[in-house]
Amino acid sequence: MDLTRFEACAEAYGAERRRWPAREHALYDRFAATPEGAAILAEAERTDRFLDAWEVREPDEALAEAIARVVRPRRPRTLWWQATAFAASAIIGFAIGFAQVRDDGSADLVTQLLLGPTSVREIGL
Amino acid sequence: MPRMKPAADDALDQELMAAVARQDGRAFARLVERHLGWSLRFVERLVGERADAEDLVQTAFLRVWQGASRWEPQAKFSTWFYRVLHNLCMDHFRARGAPTEALDEALPDGGPTSEEQVAGAQRGARVRAALAALPERQRAAIVLCYYEERSQAEAAALLGVNEGALESLLARGRAALKKYMREELH
Repeated sequence: MDLTRFEACAEAYGAERRRWPAREHALYDRFAATPEGAAILAEAERTDRFLDAWEVREPDEALAEAIARVVRPRRPRTLWWQATAFAASAIIGFAIGFAQVRDDGSADLVTQLLLGPTSVREIGL
Repeated sequence: MPRMKPAADDALDQELMAAVARQDGRAFARLVERHLGWSLRFVERLVGERADAEDLVQTAFLRVWQGASRWEPQAKFSTWFYRVLHNLCMDHFRARGAPTEALDEALPDGGPTSEEQVAGAQRGARVRAALAALPERQRAAIVLCYYEERSQAEAAALLGVNEGALESLLARGRAALKKYMREELH
């Protein structure tokens, strides 16, 4: 009966004692060195060796970096660029507007709305 | 062969998780560094494909980042993370159907050069194909108990079965592998 249980354990957990349930270690120790037990373990070891043949390679460093990058806080670069672009376009817009007003010698309605009639008069438009 | 168990030091994992809950990116990177190796090996042996395994592990770590504030250290981090990984693998199988692959397709990409390397890659590919042909739960039981060397109690809890049922899964899985090996010889 005990040998039957020994065989059942070998068929489930393999030939190495450390993979057996702790409660069955005494059973392993009792039969492992007997001829019947050794034959059972040899059979189980063939399956163990078969499983050992699949070695999985270590992860690439790039994978760890990619995972960490997903959660890394982003610099507020987007906001900085947006503010710069807005300021630059405002300056260019004003410059073009002034240049056009000076060319045709008159202040149009939009310029007056933006600068006010007093300002337009003060700068000699 | 290298041991596949997760890094020990559960107290450190708990500290790191507490920091990750505060959205500490450095603590997260440390957690990834400690657990990436075993988790990738575990998932690759379950799903059989490196690329799929990398995607699944990446998703699992993202869940750690997003769910750290709700994590309660009732179990070890590694036990909880095994469950996350295992559930993702089961979702993967459900989405794709049962994995099937011919032995030729199971050979790894990139060329080992020497005859010994080629023979080693072929042996590994056969194991991969044999495991892929097992029912999912038998495969998971073998990966957890043989490769990962988890205790019977932990593996049974992860699979949602009692230890007697786990033993049955292992025995049936290994019997199928023996049959596969016998057929290979003929």
